[in-house]
Amino acid sequence: MKICIIGFGAVGQGVARAIKSTRERLKRKHNLKIDIVAAADSRGAAIQEKGLDPQKLLEIKSEKGSIAYYPVYGHEGMDGLQVLDEVEYDCLVEVTPTNIITGEPGKSLITKAMEDGKDVVTSNKGHLSLFYKELMDLARESGVNFKFEASVGGAMPIINFAQETLPSCRIKSIIGILNGTTNFILSRMTAEGSSYEQTLKEAQELGIAETDPTQDVEGLDAACKSVILANAILGRECTLKDVEVTGITNITPEAIELAKEDGYLIKLIAEISDYILRVNPRLVKETSPYAVDGTLNMATLRTDLAGEITVIGKGAGSLETASAILTDIINIWRARQD
Amino acid sequence: MDTIKRRMLKLRMSLLLELQDVPGQLVAALEPIASVGANIVTIIHERDAKTGSHVPVQITIEGDKKTLDLAIEKLTEKGVRIIEKDGVPLKEKINTILVGEISEDELKGIVNRINSLMGVKVADLSLKMSPTTSTIKITIEAEHESLNLLEEEIYNIGSKKGLLVITET
Repeated sequence: MKICIIGFGAVGQGVARAIKSTRERLKRKHNLKIDIVAAADSRGAAIQEKGLDPQKLLEIKSEKGSIAYYPVYGHEGMDGLQVLDEVEYDCLVEVTPTNIITGEPGKSLITKAMEDGKDVVTSNKGHLSLFYKELMDLARESGVNFKFEASVGGAMPIINFAQETLPSCRIKSIIGILNGTTNFILSRMTAEGSSYEQTLKEAQELGIAETDPTQDVEGLDAACKSVILANAILGRECTLKDVEVTGITNITPEAIELAKEDGYLIKLIAEISDYILRVNPRLVKETSPYAVDGTLNMATLRTDLAGEITVIGKGAGSLETASAILTDIINIWRARQD
Repeated sequence: MDTIKRRMLKLRMSLLLELQDVPGQLVAALEPIASVGANIVTIIHERDAKTGSHVPVQITIEGDKKTLDLAIEKLTEKGVRIIEKDGVPLKEKINTILVGEISEDELKGIVNRINSLMGVKVADLSLKMSPTTSTIKITIEAEHESLNLLEEEIYNIGSKKGLLVITET
């Protein structure tokens, strides 16, 4: 299967790494050989019909800052859209940065790929939380597979889990912790009794929070994921602006203390049902499934037949997110075999 | 055995349960009652009075005090929601934390506002102050019927006063 990886940041590199390390197993278990026929980042691209060497891609990126400098096959200044016209491929892996205002450049990339009859796998939350219906309609009209397990919960299975593993159930609501950065900050504040500002700094130093942490700490990242889950699992048409969002920036150590006195923790909870679409700090019992710490994500699905089911997993991380992308690629491959 | 049973005081208790409208829920609720030896006298399963995805079920059970208490314990253990016992609404305890700048007067106003709601009462209050903000934990006792209105009102208060509202999940 020939793939183009557009976006070569942490996730894109994770995908290259995952493909390299699973080469043998994919062949043996699924009779699948994945060729990276093109890869692009903000400074340029590398294209090779026979498949680029994942190891070399990672080395060049690390040493020279961009895969545009890949020997012989590198093209400085070429952008993602051009790449999609330059090479024969089966599936676009779109892992450019999340943009919650316009959804670009991701939206244009996947639109073009779908119109060209190519399958799409993405981890990008921007275009999905702004234009879910439009993109799903386009995928259907174009007759292509469009998968985005990696856009919510990183390695934690949720979308495929609800859609494919629980087809017998109607999912009435989802309540979960969908952002690892804020979960880490709140867990540390609880353990140390420290202030929000102090703990944010600590998280930034550890690379768990970004230099501009707004999307995470204001709850927007969790809100995007909520929109995707609401659409994909509950069949509820909505976009980012429909979410009631409150972040963690005003939580005080005193609030955490008072909560602890009665056996509660404070978590940034996403609640999704037919009537509710909300991300805000909530009190959860220490003995409940929501008492999950560190950068972990979790989600409890309330179903009609199976009661409550909870999943917990690593919500972020280069290789973790890439694992979800690889799962989607494998599933598309298997579907195409039938 | 029979003679002994006849001499023990038989009490009747009526319970209003809230069950999920899903197959098997009624049987699942009756099982703990029967298993402790209480007699089920009447069951009114009001599917027409459905609210949301829940169905109210009125049951009258009979037994001695110990058996009836045990029946309630088992139902609660199983997670069956008991809304009323003998016509008296059971109350739930809700905790909420508010964070922000609140004066003593404003706090009194908030407590009064919550108490003015039907079936709702502020049971406890804890306050911690830092140089910049106040953090308040309010424990509220509310009848099941009033929960939705209460939550709406708390968020309204928070939004009006510019406070961070942290409610229970």
